[in-house]
Amino acid sequence: MRDLASVETQRTGAPLSGVIASEIDIAEGAEYAGATSTGSQPGGSPKRRKRTARKALMTVVLAIGLPIILLVVWWILSANSHSPYFPPLSKILDQFWKLWIIGPAKAQLVPSLSHLAIGYVGGSLIGIISGVLLWRLPAVRRATSPVVYFLYVLPAPALLPALIAIFGIGEMRQIALIAFGAIWPTLLNTLDGMRGVDQVKFDSAKAMRLSPVRTVWSVVLPGASPQIAAGLRAGLQVSIILMVISEMVASTGGIGYFILQSQANLALVAMWTGILMLAIIGTVLNYLFVGVEHRVLAWFYGSRALEGR
Amino acid sequence: MIGPYNSEVDDVSFALKRVLPPVLVIVFILAIWQVLTVTKVFSETQFPTMTSTMAALGNALVSPILWQAVGATLEGWIVGLIIASVLALIVGSLLASSTLAFRASAATIEVFKSIPAVAILPIVILVLGSTMNMKIFLISFGVFWPLLIQVIYGVRSMDPTVRDTAKILGVRGVRRFLVVTMPSAAPYIATGLRIASIGALILAVVAELVGGAAGIGRNILIAENGGSAQYALMYAYIIVAGFLGIILTGLFTLIETRVMHWHESQRNARSNEESAK
Repeated sequence: MRDLASVETQRTGAPLSGVIASEIDIAEGAEYAGATSTGSQPGGSPKRRKRTARKALMTVVLAIGLPIILLVVWWILSANSHSPYFPPLSKILDQFWKLWIIGPAKAQLVPSLSHLAIGYVGGSLIGIISGVLLWRLPAVRRATSPVVYFLYVLPAPALLPALIAIFGIGEMRQIALIAFGAIWPTLLNTLDGMRGVDQVKFDSAKAMRLSPVRTVWSVVLPGASPQIAAGLRAGLQVSIILMVISEMVASTGGIGYFILQSQANLALVAMWTGILMLAIIGTVLNYLFVGVEHRVLAWFYGSRALEGR
Repeated sequence: MIGPYNSEVDDVSFALKRVLPPVLVIVFILAIWQVLTVTKVFSETQFPTMTSTMAALGNALVSPILWQAVGATLEGWIVGLIIASVLALIVGSLLASSTLAFRASAATIEVFKSIPAVAILPIVILVLGSTMNMKIFLISFGVFWPLLIQVIYGVRSMDPTVRDTAKILGVRGVRRFLVVTMPSAAPYIATGLRIASIGALILAVVAELVGGAAGIGRNILIAENGGSAQYALMYAYIIVAGFLGIILTGLFTLIETRVMHWHESQRNARSNEESAK
């Protein structure tokens, strides 16, 4: 039965850089199957290696070209701005340095990031483990599926007031909210990925007389891992949002608190530095995730690049 | 199994087997909720009883306050989603049609996608106030980037045979876009829309909860601020928010299974189910 509507597919939210890498692989020809664009092919001729290096450089230039142009445009457009809402970028960067690099505001990062780490890792683990359990116990899965689905689609920020009522305004409710957001996408994607594993693989596992634990560990989990990764990525994004809003409502610390407090005090340059910091955190975490994912799932992206040939 | 086959009885017992366990689980959870609150494991200042919450839900369902809030949430959701989709379709198809444009913009799009949309909430509130426009802007900004990526992905993943055939047949311009590009990108876009519909609902609630725009999120916070006497109402609103999620996601899941019934993961899931029967 289709007990839980399918969640993020492997394709969803997959990084565009992945597409670029596989397209480059295709352009490089058969000898470069699955190779990344770094050009460290042991078998390649020097000429070919040089060309690969040039292509890699081109990719990097193209990738950072537009962001630099955008920043320059922002700088020029805002240079003489007298609007209080949109202060000059030079001022923002100056304040950013004073507040976040050498100044006091970086202390706000500690509570934010530690809550995020605990909540996200905890929620993800709960999600994966419950996903495996529900997959092993189809009767339980079917019986609980409406409840699980309800909790998945329930917009998690709506729970914030309830968690304030239960836990007070301390750290616990922030961690609980972040974990709650991370659990459901991970759980449903784990389940969905496992259900998508080819039946032939189960038959092979059976023929090889693998124990159930062994089957899950070495057949089902790897088979489902691209989808689990998609769930973890979706969970990370929700977790970051929940981290920020849990700090914006009834809180006394963290980067979300800093941004909203600056806004309330009409310290708009400081507010912009907070927005910038949050953008940096989101981007860095996302790229970290994608980096780890590509390392762990190198086999998957390699085979997909081959398929796309 | 050999023997007289009575399909009617079979259908009934099948339906019972399928419907009964979930119903029992829900009843069980509601019962536990009631027991824990009546026996004061959770005090009233933390958690209302199940029966009082259901009573509050019943009252809310017949009151115009709830429906106005739901309407305000849905209005922001649908308008934001439409703006983001139209923009993503146009920009995405244009960017995807040129390898240079696509490569040059990919990193930038990813950076914008990773910026948590809530980060810009304070400046949006300052400029637009606690209004519907603020909510719509936040939603559009938040779901535009993931949708854009899905559109680009979908257009780029077009089967080369299809692309070449269209070229040879001289299908060009708007016709090519409608007849060739869109159908082949449709599964990606459908998935993107379903994910975006959840994201849009989350951002709508955030805009209401933190930004103070009218809607179900604001009602939840107001109920919380009203003290423990209002907690039953708060949970009633939260339950309504959950059902909103179910309806909206269910809608898009339906569309998606229609569009991508041929996709591999769906076929595997189906065949696994069949062999499990």
